[in-house]
Amino acid sequence: MTQRRRLLLAFVVTGSLTAQAKPIAFADGTTVMHERNTNMLESQAFYAPTYWWSAGPGFMRLTSDDKQKQREIGYVQLNYLVKRWNLPAAQGNVFAYGGVGTARSTEIGGRLGNSETVWRYGGQGDYETRTIYTSFKVDGYRSPSFSHRISTVQLGYAPYEHDYEDLAVWFLLQARHYTGGLRDERERKLDQAALIRLFKGPIWAELGVNRERKTQFMIMFNY
Amino acid sequence: MKIFIRIALTSFLLASAAAQAKTIEITVDGLVCAFCAQGIEKKMKAQAATDKVFVSLEKRIVAVSLKDGQDIADDKLKTEITDAGYVVKVIKRSDESLDVIRARVKAGK
Repeated sequence: MTQRRRLLLAFVVTGSLTAQAKPIAFADGTTVMHERNTNMLESQAFYAPTYWWSAGPGFMRLTSDDKQKQREIGYVQLNYLVKRWNLPAAQGNVFAYGGVGTARSTEIGGRLGNSETVWRYGGQGDYETRTIYTSFKVDGYRSPSFSHRISTVQLGYAPYEHDYEDLAVWFLLQARHYTGGLRDERERKLDQAALIRLFKGPIWAELGVNRERKTQFMIMFNY
Repeated sequence: MKIFIRIALTSFLLASAAAQAKTIEITVDGLVCAFCAQGIEKKMKAQAATDKVFVSLEKRIVAVSLKDGQDIADDKLKTEITDAGYVVKVIKRSDESLDVIRARVKAGK
């Protein structure tokens, strides 16, 4: 496996546990997120002027398993609510989003090289009640040197019906599929992970582990 | 003439009741998550007439206690909640305090 593929493999494996919160929390709301695991750290900040769109910057640093290569991506992203269904005890949403940024990567043991443009695109559909959560998400990345797409399904269950002032607890199962020739021998397999999600008031935290025993932690604030 | 007096009297009584309402209770569709509640709470707290806000996901209600002698028109409430991304189903006013409504919700009534 080439070094580039190894780096991209690290990217999709760690990305497989990326949190799947809504890209727009609420009107006149700001969302700040930080996520970290053995191969990746990512920070995002989105401001939503209305309930149907938000925008903001993000930064991601990826490190290969052998620590020999790094990639840094800085980007701006626009999120758009295409459609929302408000039901008496449920809500469904369809989001679309896109962005552009620059990526710099190292050679083996070297410094970060010249930057190149990266385009990010994707969409998300979700449906939730107070005890059931389902979502489907597609994330794509395209640059002159790489292109891939990640598709994710999440199913969540809350053991009790939380109210606004309660601590909300969710257990989630996640399956993810990759395209772009990133995962060689596992190309046709689904990545599987289990997560626990907790939130109370403006704070959201998530902890997960996949079948490769890679863990991740994410924290998010909405205000 | 009697009909006119009755209508005027009824209107006066209804207007008085509305003017004395302590709390507005709004039933909302799509209110299922903490972010939903947080967004609506923020919108309601931004109103000049609002004293406190209580949101119940279980009962799908947003309760707004009003400052003395103040009110928020129904059209304004609908606009604010629609602008937050949700659907207003019912708006009702009462003399119950927010604490009473909170206790009623907690008791599951």
